[in-house]
Amino acid sequence: MSSSMALRDLQRDLESKANDLAKIQKDIAKDHQLRKKYTIQLGENELVLKELDLLEEDANVYKLIGPVLVKQDLAEANANVRKRIEYISAELKRVDASIQDNEGQQNSKREAMMKLQQRLQSIQAGKAKA
Amino acid sequence: MTSSSSARGELEKMGIDQLKALKEQADLEVNLLQDSLNNIRTANARLESAAGALNDLSIRPQGKKMLVPLTASLYVPGTLDEADKVLVDIGTGYFIEKTMDDGKDYCQRKINLLKSNYEQLFEVLAKKKSVADEAGMVLQGKVRQLQAATTS
Repeated sequence: MSSSMALRDLQRDLESKANDLAKIQKDIAKDHQLRKKYTIQLGENELVLKELDLLEEDANVYKLIGPVLVKQDLAEANANVRKRIEYISAELKRVDASIQDNEGQQNSKREAMMKLQQRLQSIQAGKAKA
Repeated sequence: MTSSSSARGELEKMGIDQLKALKEQADLEVNLLQDSLNNIRTANARLESAAGALNDLSIRPQGKKMLVPLTASLYVPGTLDEADKVLVDIGTGYFIEKTMDDGKDYCQRKINLLKSNYEQLFEVLAKKKSVADEAGMVLQGKVRQLQAATTS
């Protein structure tokens, strides 16, 4: 009797671990999307910075704010783009760390699940023999 | 030769399910790369037409009568002001004023950059494609072996 209860407990535990694993994998997928977005933005901003650097000091820079083209100071535009690049790089690093962390959790959950499954199988085999 | 045969050896060692998964993965990547290549080609076409428009604009005299598009179907008559300065969209909402020559130079630079990206991507695509093809061939061979074994 106690072995069938242990069986049910193990199965419930396995199920809950499977749910946790699915959630972690969804998080990893979301993080990958985020990472892609940040990488693209970073590339675009670096291109802009390169173009701005090629300009002469007195060249005119305009920024599109909604439907309005606003004249901007070259130094200010440079500073803005640099700050954005810094921000995006920091976010990218954060997402990378989150991916690493989640992948580690994913692996340890998988291992725990495998161990549970083995125990389950051995109990079921034992019941079959009895 | 040696690298492809050692890769083949790796593929032969894998089970049928693994091979199938590998081939599907490789096919997916090939499709993604193909899409990226198409995107680059479209962007390049747009840049080429921009460069062409610039060239055309540069030979027009100031004061020339022209039709200015207000919407996709509405044009109004106008005259060409000096075509020496152009506004270049460099991304993230920034526009810079450049001379006609600098503008042409910008277009040319971007076209060159895209061309080199295209070539790099094409190489990666070719490699992935050969992996996918090899995996497919080895998979077919194994499936045939299995069928022959089960029917004999």
